[in-house]
Amino acid sequence: MVYQLRRWPGIKRIARDGPLTPTTQDSYRKMLGSLYLPSGTWLHLAPAGLKLAVLALSSTALMWVHSPLLLLLTCLLVCLLVRCAGASLQQVWRQLRPLVWLLLTLGALSAWSQGVLQALEMVLRLFTLVLAALVVSMTTPLTQMMQVVVWLLGPFERLGWVDAEKVALGFGLTLRLIPELGVQWQDIREAQLARGLTPSPLTMGVPMLLRTLRRADEIAEAIDARG
Amino acid sequence: MLIEFKNVSVERERRLVLTDLCLVLSEQRIGVIGPNGSGKSSLVRLINGLLLPQTGQVCVNGLDTGKDVAAVRRQVGFVFQNPDNQIVFPMVHEDIEFGLKHREPDPKRRVLRAQAALERLGVGHLTERSVHTLSGGERQLVALAAVLATEPEILVFDEPTTQLDLRLRNRFEAHLAGLPQPALVVSHDLALMHQMDRVLVIDQGQLAFDGVPTEALAWYQAHCA
Amino acid sequence: MKTKDIVLIALFTALIVVLSLLPPIPLPLIPVPLTLQTFGVMLAGLILGPARAGLVLLLYVMIALLGLPVLPGGRAGLAVLAGPTAGFLLGMIPGAFVTGWLSVLSIQNDKSKEVSSSYDTFRPTPVWQIARYVLAAVIGGIVLVYAIGIPWLVFVTKMDFAKACWAMAVFVPGDVLKAIVAAVVAQRIRRLNMV
Repeated sequence: MVYQLRRWPGIKRIARDGPLTPTTQDSYRKMLGSLYLPSGTWLHLAPAGLKLAVLALSSTALMWVHSPLLLLLTCLLVCLLVRCAGASLQQVWRQLRPLVWLLLTLGALSAWSQGVLQALEMVLRLFTLVLAALVVSMTTPLTQMMQVVVWLLGPFERLGWVDAEKVALGFGLTLRLIPELGVQWQDIREAQLARGLTPSPLTMGVPMLLRTLRRADEIAEAIDARG
Repeated sequence: MLIEFKNVSVERERRLVLTDLCLVLSEQRIGVIGPNGSGKSSLVRLINGLLLPQTGQVCVNGLDTGKDVAAVRRQVGFVFQNPDNQIVFPMVHEDIEFGLKHREPDPKRRVLRAQAALERLGVGHLTERSVHTLSGGERQLVALAAVLATEPEILVFDEPTTQLDLRLRNRFEAHLAGLPQPALVVSHDLALMHQMDRVLVIDQGQLAFDGVPTEALAWYQAHCA
Repeated sequence: MKTKDIVLIALFTALIVVLSLLPPIPLPLIPVPLTLQTFGVMLAGLILGPARAGLVLLLYVMIALLGLPVLPGGRAGLAVLAGPTAGFLLGMIPGAFVTGWLSVLSIQNDKSKEVSSSYDTFRPTPVWQIARYVLAAVIGGIVLVYAIGIPWLVFVTKMDFAKACWAMAVFVPGDVLKAIVAAVVAQRIRRLNMV
């Protein structure tokens, strides 16, 4: 019923700084990789619904734990789970890096205003929560996640509010269009640079949207034609 | 096959695009040529109900496009000019299986049918590929495979070779010759018209010439070049 | 829900993803480099209207939670919900809805004015329309998002509310600028009546 959205081959991180070099442009033409790390550990074999439920419950519970020692123990436990999932330090770091700066800043602010103990508690809790969620993401392929989504949408479908086919189409179409729109952005940017304009969201917004909307008509036509 | 246009007029954005068209199509290969804006795209979109006539009626194998659009679309396979707009899912096999959704309830058979359609066009190895890693020609073949997998009775091509280089264009011509279903081809590629049984020249919303390829092309060269 | 609606929703979701992944733009006078994520959210709201824009953001958040790196900086997964800024992300869903609703409201007002007045037909000049869109974008894309994001931040980090507000205030000028640009772009697009 729902189309199997499998993990795309190839992961390329899109550069965040500096001018858009040819390699960055190339990245837009490559696929977005997902967080999933294919492996055969017990965590991978556990059913997705169970993992998500445990995550939700434990995350909520953790919000009420105040002892730094207990938080530290939980944190270490989750780190152990990360190792069980088979992730390398490099992979985990790549995911955590954007968060670390934020955590450090928040920790410093909190330490200054509320005391070191409070700050420590907050940083540990956040770190644990993030790692736990990472474990689930790394051990659950997209298809299984989608199945959980379908299951959650079940009651709504019975009410007639939601059409699973349309949801699947929406997902598939979005994923299909992300690299295409990325290329389109690059093309418009290049065209403007060639004309001596400085590309900015203001100058690029209208042409980007015009092309997008025109495509919408054509794509809708093609879908309707298929019946 | 039998496609009938009975006194068909089509208006688009308050402009009369086709006026009082009467036509009966039953040949195996039909070509449609004409200048830009002449109404040929509108003409073919009438066939599978993407456009509905303001006056008159379009009948495909006895089915009225105004009344039984779903049934008509099951019979007519439409291949668009730009495969990027036609391929909807990120993976090749997903897209073809999507097209088969209603026609093949059994998921396993759907997978087999999709694979078979790709292999018939010589692109069976692309099943597990992401669409956007494919070249333009490969995408066109995937789009064609998606349409052929649904086993339509009639095929309609809207400017199929405009985006193809010479080698791909020649390959398309070969594929076209080998298709068992009757096919209607709208094209600017006049060389394609030589394998047609009948060529229609549409100019300014009217059927300007209707006949064998050589005569139609000569007329077209004389009047519209 | 027509096919074209689904296609528009998918297109705008993909657009927000592309905008989110572009490198942040540093601007003079603005303390933090801007990501274009909120810009995309505002555009979706102003152009698609409340229902479709809400669905766009819902789809975007779901894709992010499923593990695809579609958030600025390439972040992804359920881990995002655990992070302190999750409130801002989730707040965008109602934010886009409200922006859409307010943008549609302003058009309805103009229509009624056009019909009722007989001597001076009130035709909304572009500047007037843009101003309304800016307001819609600010209320939905900034006020509502921060109204959800800051309390979430406070709850998760146990930070002082005032301090959290000051910390986030640094993003506001950039967001207002995005709202203005989004309004200008949206006004030009909506005038063409393609949606």
